[in-house]
Amino acid sequence: MAVPVLVVLALAACGKPGADEGTTSSGDGPIRFAIADAQSGQLSSLGAWELKGAKLAVEEFNAAGGVDGRTVELTVFDTQGDPTTGTSIAQKVSSGGFTAMLGTAESAVTQAMNPILRQARIPSITSGQSPAIAALGSPFQFYNGPTSVTYDETLAEHLVDDQGFKTFAMVTNNGGYGAGEHDAFLAALKDRGITPTDDKVVTVDQKDFSSILTSIRSKKPDVLFIGAEEVEAGLIAKQARELGVESVFAGAAPLATPVYIETAGEKNAEGTIVSTPYLSNEETDASKAFAEAYQKAYGEEAEMHGAKAYDGAQIFLAALKSTGGEGGQKLADAIRATQHQGLLGDFTYDEQGVGIHQTKIGEITAGQLTAVS
Amino acid sequence: MQVHIQTLIGGLSLGAIYALVALGFSLVYRTMGLVNFAHGQVVMIGAFTASTFYMTTRLPFWLAIVTACLVTGLLGLVIERVLRPLEGRDFDLMLIGTIGFGVMLEALAVIIWGATGRAVPSPITTQPLDIGGIRIRTYSLVVLAVAAAATIALVLFLQRTRLGAAMQAVAMDPEAATAVGIHVGRSNAIAFAIGAGLAALAGGLAGPLLYVNATLGGTIGIKGFAAAILGGFGNVQGAILGGLGIGILDAFAAGQFEGYSELVVFVVFAVLIMIVPTGIFGERTVNRA
Repeated sequence: MAVPVLVVLALAACGKPGADEGTTSSGDGPIRFAIADAQSGQLSSLGAWELKGAKLAVEEFNAAGGVDGRTVELTVFDTQGDPTTGTSIAQKVSSGGFTAMLGTAESAVTQAMNPILRQARIPSITSGQSPAIAALGSPFQFYNGPTSVTYDETLAEHLVDDQGFKTFAMVTNNGGYGAGEHDAFLAALKDRGITPTDDKVVTVDQKDFSSILTSIRSKKPDVLFIGAEEVEAGLIAKQARELGVESVFAGAAPLATPVYIETAGEKNAEGTIVSTPYLSNEETDASKAFAEAYQKAYGEEAEMHGAKAYDGAQIFLAALKSTGGEGGQKLADAIRATQHQGLLGDFTYDEQGVGIHQTKIGEITAGQLTAVS
Repeated sequence: MQVHIQTLIGGLSLGAIYALVALGFSLVYRTMGLVNFAHGQVVMIGAFTASTFYMTTRLPFWLAIVTACLVTGLLGLVIERVLRPLEGRDFDLMLIGTIGFGVMLEALAVIIWGATGRAVPSPITTQPLDIGGIRIRTYSLVVLAVAAAATIALVLFLQRTRLGAAMQAVAMDPEAATAVGIHVGRSNAIAFAIGAGLAALAGGLAGPLLYVNATLGGTIGIKGFAAAILGGFGNVQGAILGGLGIGILDAFAAGQFEGYSELVVFVVFAVLIMIVPTGIFGERTVNRA
């Protein structure tokens, strides 16, 4: 007798995806947020940082009283950086009574999860940066950082317009992130009348780059643009220097991380030019406070991905407060209306869900990212 | 031409790693007729263990690898001991058991070392050799030399020692071997231990070339498995040739087909296996299924 009752209760609790017009968080209990990121696999460093940043924001929010005394509860899902796993998690999130989703850090996984979350009317904020995410046109999808177009336009402006570099080679991977970087940087170069000497695409699991790097070395480009995630970007940089490529390395956020520097080796990473919205923990009073809280909570130095997730979670939480805990369309509208002074800059959302529209230029010097004046 | 030679060298250095992985697969198969699907994860455990002894306890790199070989050797003994009751009874369950061990080892690695992984600094800091514009990493030469030495040592062990001869006898006919007083279980245990030790050797050497994390075993394991099949599953020399072959094929496919290289590698591999189903050396020593 108990089993059919439980089944009926479970079905009633799940509801039909998309059936709920407004809220999935009515009542007095905790408001549930999902955080979906790679907690295992090659991209798990991103997931670990994201989780720490988001948790910090939620803990501070709960300590400050939450939404009329209701706290926000985080449930962690491991996407393994895999789009297929991501879609399965999206189903769980859409039927699990979650009000919002934080993540993912991988563009391809975000793209895979997007249609399911859109149908379930669950707002989500991604740390991915591929313009393809915005192109999906979901009113429930937001970015917590700039898109590749912003990163790479700023980078090209610095490299070509300011520094006067003339010849470029590109290595990007065929994943969601790499494809976005490829299109964005190539477009920025073409706008300046530059055609790259080499435009090479690698796979996301590739380990040996001898062939393409030898070809690039023979052209002696001024700059080698690397559009791949942290570990792969580090391996490309390391092998490029070992094979005698003397070009300046340049790229977006992954090249600003400790994982890139460690994988490439400090000597090989020296001089890498990075386009990033977050240069250092010492930049502003807000970033200093964030870094201090992060250090206290986790015993380690904060970095950009943690800051991105912290910003994203804060935006969601502020919007949640303004809706009185309601999710769905009301929450999405509240997020779009949010103006937030965050660690990455001033967030003002456009129709595509993009809140940050500029980056800064940094350079790796002695294993540290420093601002380029 | 320079691009081709450089590609070949790049392919050889990773191919030597695949070859060592294939050696471990082949040795267990040769002795027990069992494909150890946990082998890739043992490679990963070996890589993490070696990197821990090298980076955390500051042991010299080579000593760290030897220590890792001992640790994974013990792990191999544990896996064999758990699977032993199924030997000769339920072969399919043994296969599933190895897959289960692989999943457990990956989860264990995340618990012990975390999910993030680590970059292992190269133990050899000398500049790459430059021969007519061709750059050869000194460490790659070391990897090739170690792979060659491990193969020679394994062949000598199997062909020149009583224990090796006993393992060969078990591989050919376990019942006859038992009748003449050879302990089949012990023979299998030694095969597992040596296979796992070779896995740690491969993983430890791969660390400075790649990046050590919990999924390393999946990446290297699948190529090592393909290498073992290409060389002729169960054949020691075949494992080496297969490993180098897959490494070189991988490197050239990456240069020619870029983002489609993985697809091309496995299509070529499938075609080769269709032409020569038993691999280059065509040996099928054991089939106890």
